[in-house]
Amino acid sequence: MDPIVSIRNVTKDYTLGKTVVSALRGVNLEVHKGDFISIAGPSGSGKTTLLNLIGCVDTATGGLVQVVGQSTGQLTERQLTDLRLHAIGFIFQSFNLVSVLSVFQNVEFPLLLQRKWTAAERRKRVDELLTQVGLQSHAKHRPNELSGGQRQRVAIARALVTQPQLVLADEPTANLDSVTGQNIIDLMKDLNKQQGTTFIFSTHDPKVMSHANAVVRIEDGQIKDRISAAEATLAVAAGH
Amino acid sequence: MGQLRVLWQIALRNLFASKINVIIGFIILGGTFLVVLGGSMLDSMDAAMSRSIIGSVAGHIQVYSSQSKEALALFGNMGGEAEISALDDFSKVKKTLETVPNVERVVPMGINAALVQSGNTIDLTLGELRGVLNHLRDEGESPERREKAESLKAHVRQQVEVLKADIAKARLISKASAEDAEDAAVIERVSSEAFWKEFETRPFDQMEYLENRLAPMVSDADLLYLRYAGTDLKAFQKNFDRMRIVDGAPVPDGERGFLFAKLFYEETLKLKSARRLDKIKEARDIKSKRIATDDELKRWVKENSTQTREFLLQLDGIKTRELVARLQKHLGSKETELSALLGSFFTTTDENFDARYAFFYEQVAPLLQLYRVRVGDTLSIQAFTKTGYMQSVNLKVYGTFMFEGLEKSDMAGGLNLMDLVSFRELYGYLTAEKKAEIAELKKKSGSREIAREGAEDALFGEDAKVVEASATPGLIDDSASFGDTAQALRNKELASRVYSQDEIDQGVVLSAAVMLKDPTRIQETIAEIHAAAERDKVPLKAVSWQEASGLIGQFVLMAKLILYFAVFVIFIVALVIINNAMMMATLRRVHEIGTMRAIGAQRAFVLSLVLMETVVLGLLFGGLGMLFGSGLVGWLHSVGIPAGNDALLFFFSGPRLFPSLTVGNLVAAFVIVMLVSAISTLYPALIATRVSPLRAMQAEE
Repeated sequence: MDPIVSIRNVTKDYTLGKTVVSALRGVNLEVHKGDFISIAGPSGSGKTTLLNLIGCVDTATGGLVQVVGQSTGQLTERQLTDLRLHAIGFIFQSFNLVSVLSVFQNVEFPLLLQRKWTAAERRKRVDELLTQVGLQSHAKHRPNELSGGQRQRVAIARALVTQPQLVLADEPTANLDSVTGQNIIDLMKDLNKQQGTTFIFSTHDPKVMSHANAVVRIEDGQIKDRISAAEATLAVAAGH
Repeated sequence: MGQLRVLWQIALRNLFASKINVIIGFIILGGTFLVVLGGSMLDSMDAAMSRSIIGSVAGHIQVYSSQSKEALALFGNMGGEAEISALDDFSKVKKTLETVPNVERVVPMGINAALVQSGNTIDLTLGELRGVLNHLRDEGESPERREKAESLKAHVRQQVEVLKADIAKARLISKASAEDAEDAAVIERVSSEAFWKEFETRPFDQMEYLENRLAPMVSDADLLYLRYAGTDLKAFQKNFDRMRIVDGAPVPDGERGFLFAKLFYEETLKLKSARRLDKIKEARDIKSKRIATDDELKRWVKENSTQTREFLLQLDGIKTRELVARLQKHLGSKETELSALLGSFFTTTDENFDARYAFFYEQVAPLLQLYRVRVGDTLSIQAFTKTGYMQSVNLKVYGTFMFEGLEKSDMAGGLNLMDLVSFRELYGYLTAEKKAEIAELKKKSGSREIAREGAEDALFGEDAKVVEASATPGLIDDSASFGDTAQALRNKELASRVYSQDEIDQGVVLSAAVMLKDPTRIQETIAEIHAAAERDKVPLKAVSWQEASGLIGQFVLMAKLILYFAVFVIFIVALVIINNAMMMATLRRVHEIGTMRAIGAQRAFVLSLVLMETVVLGLLFGGLGMLFGSGLVGWLHSVGIPAGNDALLFFFSGPRLFPSLTVGNLVAAFVIVMLVSAISTLYPALIATRVSPLRAMQAEE
């Protein structure tokens, strides 16, 4: 089975004035359908950069990035946007909901961008998702009327509403207290199990990591290792 | 559809999400309001002025000779009359113009200026006295005539007393010059009993002395500069609906006659004190000025209270006593000097002005001659003909008229009217009678025309007879050769003659006003007229009424330009402000825009997002601006905007402007507002499309 994400020998350089900073130096990674993978590493290690490349919001300096079978380096800006719209769902650290839209409208938004659904189809789909994240009664609320956990659940619903093959979450629990963060990860995990949606999320919270099928540890722009969640928890406990 | 709806909703909800939007909104509101109000005012003013100008003298199109050195200026140029070549035969011009299908009617015209001697008060009194003396001599004694003569004599003697007092006063101030001494001698003589005793026996000798020596001493004789349009008065009145007779009556069809422009008549021929009272009243009633606070009104009051000599000169003994009695009663004064009484009467304040104004017209004015020239009088107009000779025509004044809407305009209100035949005579064009008259004279005197080259031969050659050089063919002012009676007789004859339409039409004119069937097709019709003129070989040039009205036409255009420029500047400023504000708004939203981009929104979506917000802003606040603007215009339409000063009176073409709104005004405002909003948002929108989806990943600031 072809991997959903395939990264070979990828480098990413940023130019800061006259100096060139290498954020990624020769990364190799494969993610398969149904994976629930955590990318871990200290800040500045390059985990956000890696997520950005997988999420098609950025392109690599060197190497090959393939997402759902497409080489992102060869796609135009338009095509990349289209790829994001149809194949990828995003969950952000600070939720990133459109503040002037209601919960329902925020979840509906990607469907509108896809321009292929009737109003009834959209309504059905959004209702389903809101039920799944337990917010059907809040459909008409505005984001600022919700708690942080509720907002992140809206974001999850929005990420999943288009039935993407891949969902990326950048530190999804960083702005939440531990109990709420736990709930969010549980929700993601449930969705992963029930629907087989592939999740890749970055975190440095060992409790969050513990739910992953695998933890990819990254350090100084390189992948250190790919270990199981249990190993990762131990490693964190050991202070590595 | 769904996308559009969500864009619309985002825009709508973002409207009040930030203060910046509200600020932009109010700029748009103000701008739209201004465009609606200004546009409507301007259009209404333009329409009012167009109606006044077209309906007064200009017509829709004016035609004049294409050989003219200058452009036609119906209301005059800065330096006098424009140099316009004559069109020899109006009937031909009319025929050519009438072949153009859009031409409805043609009115012949000629504008020129002349000098009129208004005569001073002593002159007028002496003239009257001479008339009575003539009657006495020619038709014999009668008690009424004798009484009239005595009253006039008493009046002259009173005038002499006024002059005597003037000289005595002048002596106190400055040393007498030789000239003054001469004047004093004249006064001395005519105030003596001996002079008037002699008057009984040799009235005409004494009259001559008075006329030649006394009258010139009064320097208040005005030499009036009179602008007039000679026209087919019947056609003029029929075609120019703005013309209205104010006093008197129109000149009877086909007859010769003169009509004063009301403003000119009031300004130059009315008794100065009365005119000043009118002006003070107008300033108080219409412009709500007060004597106590306004310097100009104070000046007028002062002038009125000091310049009372005209009253003393005008009134004879009986009337003087009557006026003194009336003023004493009104003022509750025991003063017996008329000048002192008048001085205190005219020292008006805001409290007593209205009462005194009413008293003046009820009790004082009937004793006076309010106007130098009255309706029914004969006016003697002198003008330089085209070739430089002085020509004089006596015309009966039938009345005064005004052009509605332009009644306060000095330029338009200064144009008087006369018949076309008299105009031609003053212009130096030979009328049929004059040609015949000259031919008759030539025949009688045995003169014959000879060429200039042959003049010497003719004069000194063998068969030299009486000659007449042809350099000035028939334009010599032949009236000079007639005696007083002959001239008067001839003028009387001419004045009462009724001219046929053919006589009026066949002859020289300077221009012609053309009325159109379809007034919207002015430019096309001008082209058609030019084509017709070329075909008929008539040297015609046609211009629109705007062009023909010279400075006045330019004023409208200028006002429009100034207002459009102001609107333009306002919107440039608005553009900059909106642009800046939108930039700020966009920069504050990079996180949200980045998120949308990350989720899968294309750049075009972001562009429409920002533009949609401006559109919503424009629609809402522009709509409100239009609503307020329309509301205000509607209100102004019902109450009218009062013209606060003379310039506004002119622009409003009347004391009040009633602006009305057209769909065009609203559409223009809408288009301008939308365009300005769109242009000012273009750059911020472009910036927004450049926001990277990476921004979504960064923490919100």
